[in-house]
Amino acid sequence: MQFGRGGKPSAGAFFDTDFATIDTYLAQALLHGLQGKNDCRVAIVTMSRPNLAVAGFADAVERYYRGPAGNFAQVPPMGMRTEGAPGETPVGVTAPFQKPGPDGKPLHVNKVRTVIDTGDPNTLFRNYLQAQNDQNAFFVLAGPATNLAAALAFRGMKELITAKIKYLVVDGSERNIKADVAAAKKVFAEWPTPVILSGSEIGNSVLFPGASLDKEFAATTPDHPVAELYRSWKTPAYDAPSGAMAAALHAGRPKEGYFKVSEAGTITVQDDGRTTFAAMAGGKHQHLIADPAQKEKILKAYVELTSAKPVMPQRFRPPVAADKAADKDPLLDKPEAAKP
Amino acid sequence: MITCKALPRRTFLRGMGTAAIGLPFLEAMAPAFAATTKPPVRMAFFYVPNGMIMDGWNPSYEGKLQDLPRTLKSLAPYKDDILQLGNLTHNTGRALLDGAGDHGRCCGSYLTGIQVKKSLVDIKNGVSFDQIVANEIGKQTRFPSLELGMEDARQAGDCDSGYACAYTNNLAWRSETQPLPPILDPRALFERMFGKGLPMTPEERARQSKYRRSILDFVTEDTHKLEATLGPTDKRKLDEYLSSIREVERQIERAEGDNKQIDPKMDKPYGIPADFAEHFRMMSNMMAIAFQADQTRIITFLMTREGSSRPYRELGIPDGHHPLTHHRNQADLIEKVRQINEYHVQQFASFVEKMKSTKEGDGTLLDNCMLVYGAGLSDPNAHLHEDLPTIIVGKGGNYFKTGRRVIARRETPMCNLFLTMMDRMGVPVDNFGDSTGKLEGLNLA
Repeated sequence: MQFGRGGKPSAGAFFDTDFATIDTYLAQALLHGLQGKNDCRVAIVTMSRPNLAVAGFADAVERYYRGPAGNFAQVPPMGMRTEGAPGETPVGVTAPFQKPGPDGKPLHVNKVRTVIDTGDPNTLFRNYLQAQNDQNAFFVLAGPATNLAAALAFRGMKELITAKIKYLVVDGSERNIKADVAAAKKVFAEWPTPVILSGSEIGNSVLFPGASLDKEFAATTPDHPVAELYRSWKTPAYDAPSGAMAAALHAGRPKEGYFKVSEAGTITVQDDGRTTFAAMAGGKHQHLIADPAQKEKILKAYVELTSAKPVMPQRFRPPVAADKAADKDPLLDKPEAAKP
Repeated sequence: MITCKALPRRTFLRGMGTAAIGLPFLEAMAPAFAATTKPPVRMAFFYVPNGMIMDGWNPSYEGKLQDLPRTLKSLAPYKDDILQLGNLTHNTGRALLDGAGDHGRCCGSYLTGIQVKKSLVDIKNGVSFDQIVANEIGKQTRFPSLELGMEDARQAGDCDSGYACAYTNNLAWRSETQPLPPILDPRALFERMFGKGLPMTPEERARQSKYRRSILDFVTEDTHKLEATLGPTDKRKLDEYLSSIREVERQIERAEGDNKQIDPKMDKPYGIPADFAEHFRMMSNMMAIAFQADQTRIITFLMTREGSSRPYRELGIPDGHHPLTHHRNQADLIEKVRQINEYHVQQFASFVEKMKSTKEGDGTLLDNCMLVYGAGLSDPNAHLHEDLPTIIVGKGGNYFKTGRRVIARRETPMCNLFLTMMDRMGVPVDNFGDSTGKLEGLNLA
């Protein structure tokens, strides 16, 4: 079961990216920040390029937020595509593994050594979608659409997406679309749920403040692996475009009004990677529209959510209750089953 | 001696309408000049319940098997015949919104790859892959498949949090709603295998018992006729084979006698011995004979039912197995579970030894088998359905590159292994359950 007793769970978040910009790593942190506020549950993170070093870093971020694996609180595997080029490896992705903690041991441990430590994205999408309530999950795509296009061709996946996913939010930055135009075309043409596009202008309208590293991050999460990476990205830390974060923020809080949303229509991806929007009643596509009045509110949300302290996932069976639950296990209460 | 007329593979020694004993592969069965005749590939599943203490199961390395971890130690003499598989997952065993009941789900879906319906009466599963294979190749053998076990074959009632006992007490499913309950009683299995295919009637059993006759006595005439046509190697092989049947028969008779002495009122069938290891020995001896005589090519074996709370007093463990597996990381409880895990593997190892020591063609019976030993849960304390403890013993007909630990990517469906096995059994399919493709990297090529 995906969560404990009582009430409807927050929406399951599926995050697919190439982890090629600092913004994408911040978006992963932001989704976990939203999880801490019970706005979503991060189901699975998948990567659209075969880069073990980057996958290891992203996996460490998951472990940072989820805490050590234990009873009924497992860290899901990192999804990683195995075809294609590995792309660039940011210099800072290994730094967190060298940073010692108070006991002298590394603060973060790299659990992704070989490809067997990762999972096939399609299998993970399928397995983790099956664990979601109907219409209670969303996808965030912040990279080339390669994995999602492949998912559409996977046995039974379209039906599963239709049943479980409420919407897909796409960071439609130019580089993302152009990285795999064919995949983007397929996703916009065939994705069975509503799709909301966050264009390049959205990411450029609000820049994530690099200064927050020495303020909010230093104050609340000084050992945050993404902050470590950000510091090494460029010196001094710069104000980064926020396309991936915008997509994640809107996906997790669609009613918060951070962005205006266009009328319904159809988005088409051209051969050169440009996207065009045609309004049409009943269309499945919308796009975000920047609202200058919300800039400060967005910035505040970005910084607060990415630098928030990890909130460990609610365990299905908390430690004490686990003992009691085990004692009440119906299998344990069957004396007849104990006969030799 | 080369003859132009071969003995048919499906020759039986018959007698008095009571006995029908299949034969092992004899040289006389090889068609003239057909030196390349390949023995058939067989598969068996040995399912153990309640998961495993995984640090005693998984080696800390990948590649060539070296020192085996504690639980697998008794298989060390056969490590060159083992493929130790890592990271295989049964997602359909997980809750997937159905709440508690991991034991019911993990066993129910183990060979079907289907999320079973949570119900006590309206049971619904899928056809298990062994039965898909049996439907295709079962006509070539006396029994399309054999379903065996050692504990509690009841089908009704709640065996785990709203899951019917049909899910925890069966591995094989003929249809969505029809499980194939395992035979638990060695006597019933013996009569099925060497009798007319059905258990004897009470009158038949009484007649045989009255004269204290062996099943072999009924086929003496056929045996003599056959022996006259065989060369010395085949004669020796036949003699050994018939002796092994007689030995099983004696074991059953002993067990029946012992049970009557222990408790004349006990409700177990008389053929089921009180001793776990003895019970396993009898069942596994007949499994070996069934494979040797090509009576079937498919066996599923439920060591004990999923969620079993059987105590293991023979190990000095009076606690039930399942309660122990909720060990809450207490070292003394973990140690007891380890001992049970080891004990189960020791039984299996005795079967492997028998298969390995039985010659077939140019190799051994084991070479032509895929014996899968595993569980539907990994860490039982956390009820995990990933990295399921799984080994394949045997080369599946000179196919598997054994003696290795092969680790698949995380979350790789167990059904991918089943696809590969179906291929080896001559029943290739594109997909099964939640498979995403065949399990790669297992073969010699």
